[in-house]
Amino acid sequence: MASSSVTLSLCSAFSTHCNVTSRRSSVILSSLSKPSLNLTKPVSGFLSPSTASTSRPAFPVAPKFAESVLEAEQETTDVEATVVSDVAEDKPKREEIFAVVMVGGRQYIVFPGRYLYTQRLKDASVNDQIVLNKVLLVGTKTHTYIGKPVVTNATVHAVVENQGLNDKVVVFKYKPKKKYRRNIGHRQPNTRIKITGITGYEEYPASPNVPV
Amino acid sequence: MTRIKRGYIARRRRTKLRLFASSFRGAHSRLTRTMTQQRIRALVSAHRDRGKRKRDFRRLWITRINAVIHETGVFYSYNRFIHNLYKKQLLLNRKILAQIALLNRSCLYTISNEIKK
Repeated sequence: MASSSVTLSLCSAFSTHCNVTSRRSSVILSSLSKPSLNLTKPVSGFLSPSTASTSRPAFPVAPKFAESVLEAEQETTDVEATVVSDVAEDKPKREEIFAVVMVGGRQYIVFPGRYLYTQRLKDASVNDQIVLNKVLLVGTKTHTYIGKPVVTNATVHAVVENQGLNDKVVVFKYKPKKKYRRNIGHRQPNTRIKITGITGYEEYPASPNVPV
Repeated sequence: MTRIKRGYIARRRRTKLRLFASSFRGAHSRLTRTMTQQRIRALVSAHRDRGKRKRDFRRLWITRINAVIHETGVFYSYNRFIHNLYKKQLLLNRKILAQIALLNRSCLYTISNEIKK
């Protein structure tokens, strides 16, 4: 099943491996809520409109480790030396925290230091600092902050990396024996944002994690 | 009318078709006429199943959430869980809940306890 290819290991130790999700649809659950983004441009800040998508957005959410890519490159050059040193050193420690944030009508599980693809943020340009306000859940190693519906004052800071298009999808409409066929290609615009940090959740009432 | 030979017009079109159908089985990747038909069927299936994919995954998430929630307590199930979720005005969707159930099960138990109160 496609879902079996999801290998995000969010074990209780919060080890951060590569997150490969082939999920391509998003749920348009929230007719209740409108996502809001603050763009902290030096000149002005304003809310940006957002678009909706399916349960699996056409984005391939593969938030990769920026650092693991670098480590792989180093290893190919010096195999023996780096193997030994990797075992000896600790990998750079990340805060072991995650958040569930709602962007573009979809919800994502977000880790600091990873990137993800969202619907196109119209008013954002590359290297913009972005603040995501709709944080639905924040989880740390010991506590979970469950938002009802939003964790107040919690924010996720992100940087816009790239504004691009998804892979092309061929929309082929066809009715047999009726001489009707339409061939249309479609590329959905997306934005790649890199998550820099999750803040502001400390004041919120926390629930201690139940041991499994 | 001057005489026009058709040259490589058809061949160019068919090479693209061949590329598309290159992974099909048997004659469906070798014979031109069957390739055109199979290409149409493939694209139609893709279009239809893009719509179905959304439904399929939602079903999968619901099944997964249900499985984990049943372990939480006697007489507790997905429907009650979702009912409590809405009563407490949580906005987490099934995709996220299923992911949390898979990866960070203690977090889901925390959520479910929080909701039950």
